[in-house]
Amino acid sequence: MADVALRGVSKSYDGRSDVLHGIDLDVRHGEFVVFVGPSGCGKSTLLRMIAGLESITAGEVRIGGQVVNALPPRSRDIAMVFQDYALYPHKTLFENMAFGLRLRKTPEDEIRRRVMDAAKLLRIDGMLDRRPAALSGGQRQRVAIGRAIVREPKVFLFDEPLSNLDAQLRNEMRSEIKRLHQRLGATIIYVTHDQVEAMTLADRIAVLSGGHRMQYDTPDAIYHRPATTFVAGFIGAPPMNLVDCRLDGDAADLGGVRVPLASRSLAGAARGAALKLGVRPENLRLARAGADIALPAAVCLLEPLGAEVLVTLKLGAAEVVARCPAAFREPPGTPVTLYVDPSHVALFDAASGTALSAPSAH
Amino acid sequence: MAILDRVRDPGERTLAVVLLAPAFALLALIVVYPIGRIIYQSFFDARLSGGHGHRFVGLDNYRIAFHDTEFWTATWHTVAITLITVPAALVVGLGLALLANLPFRRRWPVRLALLLPWAMPLAFAGLIFAWFFHTEYGIVNDVVRRLGAGGEPTMWLLRPGWAFAAVCVTIVWKTSSFMALILLAGLTMIPRSLYEAAEVDGASHFQQFREITLPMLMPSIVVALIFRTITALQTFDIPYTMTRGGPADATETLAMLIHKTTIDYLDVGYGSTLAVAMFVLSLAVTTVYLRRLARTP
Repeated sequence: MADVALRGVSKSYDGRSDVLHGIDLDVRHGEFVVFVGPSGCGKSTLLRMIAGLESITAGEVRIGGQVVNALPPRSRDIAMVFQDYALYPHKTLFENMAFGLRLRKTPEDEIRRRVMDAAKLLRIDGMLDRRPAALSGGQRQRVAIGRAIVREPKVFLFDEPLSNLDAQLRNEMRSEIKRLHQRLGATIIYVTHDQVEAMTLADRIAVLSGGHRMQYDTPDAIYHRPATTFVAGFIGAPPMNLVDCRLDGDAADLGGVRVPLASRSLAGAARGAALKLGVRPENLRLARAGADIALPAAVCLLEPLGAEVLVTLKLGAAEVVARCPAAFREPPGTPVTLYVDPSHVALFDAASGTALSAPSAH
Repeated sequence: MAILDRVRDPGERTLAVVLLAPAFALLALIVVYPIGRIIYQSFFDARLSGGHGHRFVGLDNYRIAFHDTEFWTATWHTVAITLITVPAALVVGLGLALLANLPFRRRWPVRLALLLPWAMPLAFAGLIFAWFFHTEYGIVNDVVRRLGAGGEPTMWLLRPGWAFAAVCVTIVWKTSSFMALILLAGLTMIPRSLYEAAEVDGASHFQQFREITLPMLMPSIVVALIFRTITALQTFDIPYTMTRGGPADATETLAMLIHKTTIDYLDVGYGSTLAVAMFVLSLAVTTVYLRRLARTP
């Protein structure tokens, strides 16, 4: 296992449009880091640059302290799991998993031991003489992971490994990958566009957008203290509510409704500045508690989820979503009072989208 | 059950027969009848000049063919051309396909260049190469001279061994592009991620070719070999236009001998016998290939 360091890593094709802009990032030994972002944000390109499958336009990639920019993939001691599994269709599962070891001239009994160990771990030991075409999607993905495990590489790279699976299988495989990481203690870099995967798997998440690193932190910090409106809107389902407001003394004015911002430092925000007020759906409540302030709203839409109901409400000119108890059944148009604890509110600069003040509690 | 009932419905069956009849009739007319007619004809002495009319001779024509050195020589030339040009065209075609599959900025000029020899008529290619190999004016001797090989210019098409080699080179040039087109289609079907996985696994370019490209290309290779072998067994146009089968029958193929016997000597009975022999040869080779194809996973 090894650590990975990216320093000012950039990528451009034909010297024109930049796909990645000076990414700095450290992955610690044994850490599970997830690159997450929408399609086209550059996350897969960044992973492929670490693997050596894409050239590095500028900057430096280090694996285990060694600069690997000029090294081909086979010399980087990494293993990669691909989105389409990339299993060799003409080889049996055993041959697929043993391929990398045979190329490295590993003794045959050692190959057999490692393949059998990985196959048992992944519960595919009974089908090693089959070819990939005879397997289900989930089994193929297990083989692809097994092929990576047997190599015992310094770093595991996963490129959207679950996106070709159906929802139920995706959940199962997600838990298996998490368990695998706990068991192997491997350094893993994992790319996904699914923020649930990112939140559940990662020790740290790097949120990317438009080739920029928007935030790199623990899932908890990313969720509760988003650095930008993009992160606030991308992480969380439903995402953080973002409402336009203006700074009015020590309060945010939501068009008549004032949210006090006492004891917050809002560096650089002048009186009257255009802001965005962010609040997570679970922090909008229908019952007062503690220091909550009241916000007049009206029900627009109910989306029952069984354990709870997502209620879309009209708040001034904006629409917000609140996570309410399943018993809530007020019909659309009903006026209600929303309660929010001011310490759960995040504030962003409306123009740049950067956070001015994070919630002080969660 | 409803579906079965419908199929068993006599009306439906009649309709099916009526709809299939034109295709069967056409097939019978252009495939079954000519083959049947040739087999039938091969049992007759049917010389159109100087013979004894249309006379049933049983297996006499086959007995004559069995002792006919010209038939065995032409058969051997045909087999030799097949054994030399088919693997050579496969190797050259595979090289061209790999080249055309490289990430060129503009792919269409490469693919057009690949298509041109294939699109050219066979007789045309034969005539062009006959000029290339011309003793005095040919580009081949010119290049040989410029490379510093002195002495008398080689008489490519006038010496048996060289003429056979020249015919083979021409056939390989003409047919490699067809091989390349089929193999290129196969190459483009191999997912890029397999090569990336192999690269990460530690495979060199040669190992990637041996472990991924070749096995995954095998179905395309078998298809290309079937088509090319069948046409190689029917080789006619190129040797006919380059050498007329000469010098001294050194480049005469079975198809040329059939043509000579039937058209030049007007011996339709014996010509048919030779045609049946060629048909049997083609059928045997095709059967072997198809069995191989059925085993390909």
